[in-house]
Amino acid sequence: MSALGQSLPRPDARDKVTGDARYPGDRFPPDVLFAFIVFTDQPHARITRLDTAAAEAAEGVVAVVTAADVPVNEYGLTMFDQPVLIGPTSSGRSAVPHDVSRWEADHLAVVIAETEEQARSAAALIESDWEALPLVADIDAALADGAPLVHPEHPAQSNAYHHLVITKGDVATAFERADVVIEGTYELPYQEHAYLQPEAGVAYVDEEGRITVEVAGQWTHEDQEQIAHALDLDLDAVRVIYPPIGGAFGGREDMSLQIVLALAVRKLNERGIDRPVRSQWSREESIVGHHKRHRGRVHTRWAATKDGVLLGVEATSHLDAGSYNYTSNKVLGNLHLTVAGPYEVPNAQLDSYAVYTNAVPGGAFRGFGGPQGCFVSETQMNRLAAALHLDPVEVRRRNVLGEGSIGITSTPLPAGVSLPEVIEECAIEADWEAPPRPPAAIGAFASLPPTTEASRRGRGFACAYKNIGFSFGFPERSVADIVLHGSDDADARPTSAELYLAGADVGQGAHLAFLQMAAEATGLDVEAITPGFSDTATSGDSGSASASRLSWMTGNAILGAAEEAEKAWRDGDRPARGHFRYTPPPTEMLDPDGRTPTTPNFAYGYVAEAVDLSVDVETGHIVVHDVVCAIDVGRIINPQQVTGQIEGAVIQAHGYCLSENLVVIDGRVMNPRFSGYLIPGIGDIPEQVRSVMLEIPDPRGPFGVRGMAEMPLMPYAPAIVGALYDATGVWFDSFPLTPPRVRAVLRAAGVGAS
Amino acid sequence: MSKTHVTAIINGDQTEFLTEDGTSLLNALRDDVGLTGVKEGCGTGDCGACSVIMNGALNASCLVFAPEADGATIVTVEGLADGDHLHPLQQCFLEGAALQCGICTPGFLVAAKVLLDKNPNPTETEIRYALAGNLCRCTGYDKIIRAVQEAASRMQEA
Repeated sequence: MSALGQSLPRPDARDKVTGDARYPGDRFPPDVLFAFIVFTDQPHARITRLDTAAAEAAEGVVAVVTAADVPVNEYGLTMFDQPVLIGPTSSGRSAVPHDVSRWEADHLAVVIAETEEQARSAAALIESDWEALPLVADIDAALADGAPLVHPEHPAQSNAYHHLVITKGDVATAFERADVVIEGTYELPYQEHAYLQPEAGVAYVDEEGRITVEVAGQWTHEDQEQIAHALDLDLDAVRVIYPPIGGAFGGREDMSLQIVLALAVRKLNERGIDRPVRSQWSREESIVGHHKRHRGRVHTRWAATKDGVLLGVEATSHLDAGSYNYTSNKVLGNLHLTVAGPYEVPNAQLDSYAVYTNAVPGGAFRGFGGPQGCFVSETQMNRLAAALHLDPVEVRRRNVLGEGSIGITSTPLPAGVSLPEVIEECAIEADWEAPPRPPAAIGAFASLPPTTEASRRGRGFACAYKNIGFSFGFPERSVADIVLHGSDDADARPTSAELYLAGADVGQGAHLAFLQMAAEATGLDVEAITPGFSDTATSGDSGSASASRLSWMTGNAILGAAEEAEKAWRDGDRPARGHFRYTPPPTEMLDPDGRTPTTPNFAYGYVAEAVDLSVDVETGHIVVHDVVCAIDVGRIINPQQVTGQIEGAVIQAHGYCLSENLVVIDGRVMNPRFSGYLIPGIGDIPEQVRSVMLEIPDPRGPFGVRGMAEMPLMPYAPAIVGALYDATGVWFDSFPLTPPRVRAVLRAAGVGAS
Repeated sequence: MSKTHVTAIINGDQTEFLTEDGTSLLNALRDDVGLTGVKEGCGTGDCGACSVIMNGALNASCLVFAPEADGATIVTVEGLADGDHLHPLQQCFLEGAALQCGICTPGFLVAAKVLLDKNPNPTETEIRYALAGNLCRCTGYDKIIRAVQEAASRMQEA
């Protein structure tokens, strides 16, 4: 029987239900010290004095690490624009001035003490003097004439430091020929990852003398590189291990504790102290201290014929990158590719900018720019349908990308474009052709009786495409190692195997997917495979748990490694070893002039969603009755885990769209707690979420597999906005759709009691 | 600072530990008793990850001072299984993929146990009410609801 298509239980499930699973925050090795990370608490200021003497003398304190202890005081996933520690003196080299705090959560020092309480108390004794620098609060401030530069050292010499262009066809003529023009400006909100486990880790020198960091991340080998870079060490001198990880969603793609914990161990080592160091952030520190889904603004115009066929798209997009790039340049790329929608667009002028401010950095979050682009494109498409009195599904049929379509970058999409089928399946499952549903009795509050009086009902539809894997020429690869064991007999078959892979299981079930694919590739049972996962000392680089890429990339690496191992087995090797480094077809950077055809991605995933909701036009409360998410997953590895990804992504999208309202003012996160930042609870979610999984194989995916974990998040918010229009006749161009906002917009449009 | 001596029945065993007055029960259970299955998700009583059963009632252990546990009977996730034999709730969470990252799981399990101890045959609405104090960021909750229903059904048959 095939190992694929079965809902096998996760290998870590037993430990997780018994409480035995040891997450990074659960590790208390003997003699462990606590490292407290001191934030600067300065959104924009230059440090002129730092005195740690009193802190170092405090009870229980073993050492204090400052900028002067950092050999190479710079880091960043795609560019080195962030100091590891801010300080007036820094012995190390750095591409970015080390004496300026550009973010309230920049790191000032690491206080290492016997206990957490002692470390926190001592941190309060650190003295520092600051010279205020002009604050760049948001996109408007950053783009204003004469705005101060957040990064004066950046060659762009502008806060809008990264600009992407697509110029396709003749957009001016397209608008002259248009029967209808749809214009909109959309304000896109932040989203906080809110993984339930705040940042934590433990570091020590291992038995081979390597500085070892056990932490929750998304890419062991990138963490290893960043640590080695900042500490000026060879890669071999650094080891990164991922214990069970308490969620990630993109929020652990960049460094949090990795480098500072390694620095702490190095400092102790220099003093001849061989003790492990642990650290853990509070929820508040986590929300203040790591990046967010970008807030942004998009102004766009769409030109179409009276039949609803797109003639051209203009869009100018700005993302608030915050104080450091993180992955903003890449996130911007995804917004850029999705803002004109998954449609055939013959003429386009797209300009997208990442903008430095002194706000919290924007970065990776499930969808990676796609949800922002999708909100704009799908709301535009729904508005186009409404303007022409066309059905939202029908207008998509007339424009959607299909096999052989030329994409927005003027090259054909990779083979296997299945969005037309996905849209049809979604419409069928949602019974889209059915007549409008009668108003439902809803109650804004449990204490009030449900009523239909102010209830209005509507349905909405949206679809999306998103890349799988690293884009724009970023080096993409995945390494797998398989060792086959069994009898020495020449015609014997292997009876067991070892599988080595670095890919991170951040909770999504990646390790189970690896095991099921390895079982399929080797013909062994899952139980016969012994895994070695997520340790740089035993595995090659699998790349990150991001971009819906892990199953796709590691599956191809597993297939290669299994084939190599099988060859060795046939040659009589016992054990038989297979090592394979898979690289997908190359991708390209966009051309700076925006006109040259380029292939930015090697694979895409496709999704469509239909929602049915009621809104109370007096209170602004929304109840979602039904969500249908149709997605082409290519080949189902594990049905239970795939529906888990769909349901989880839809509920994250529900929060993004309806309740999650991160307030950032003058460079400060104002509501860094779950009491003020509301992620959906079990009582807040849609009445039902239905998953429709298509299995149209990706011709290059392993076993036909497509990436799928991000896509269901993308169409939800625009589908909700489409349904709100269906219910009330009012469009929403910003969210989250909290009751006060919904009520205010409806009132302004004359809906509800005056 | 003076320490308080606390004696409690934890997961069926008489347990003694020394704690400072300002220490939360959460930190005492994790740091002093070694029960790291009890998770800190927020430290402010908003997420339910640190839930324990104290004298039969569900409590956010981050909001309880450790000395308040003196004389109490406490059950944590570590106390649900009978040796190697998982509690039906644990078994159904495992089989039903009602967990992903698993940080919220201990809190959901003890909250669901309190519910089923009082109401062996809850409706879906009653399950949602009983678990309203627990946040999960991964699963979208549906598989959790199904797992609790399945466990209730198995416990009724048993």
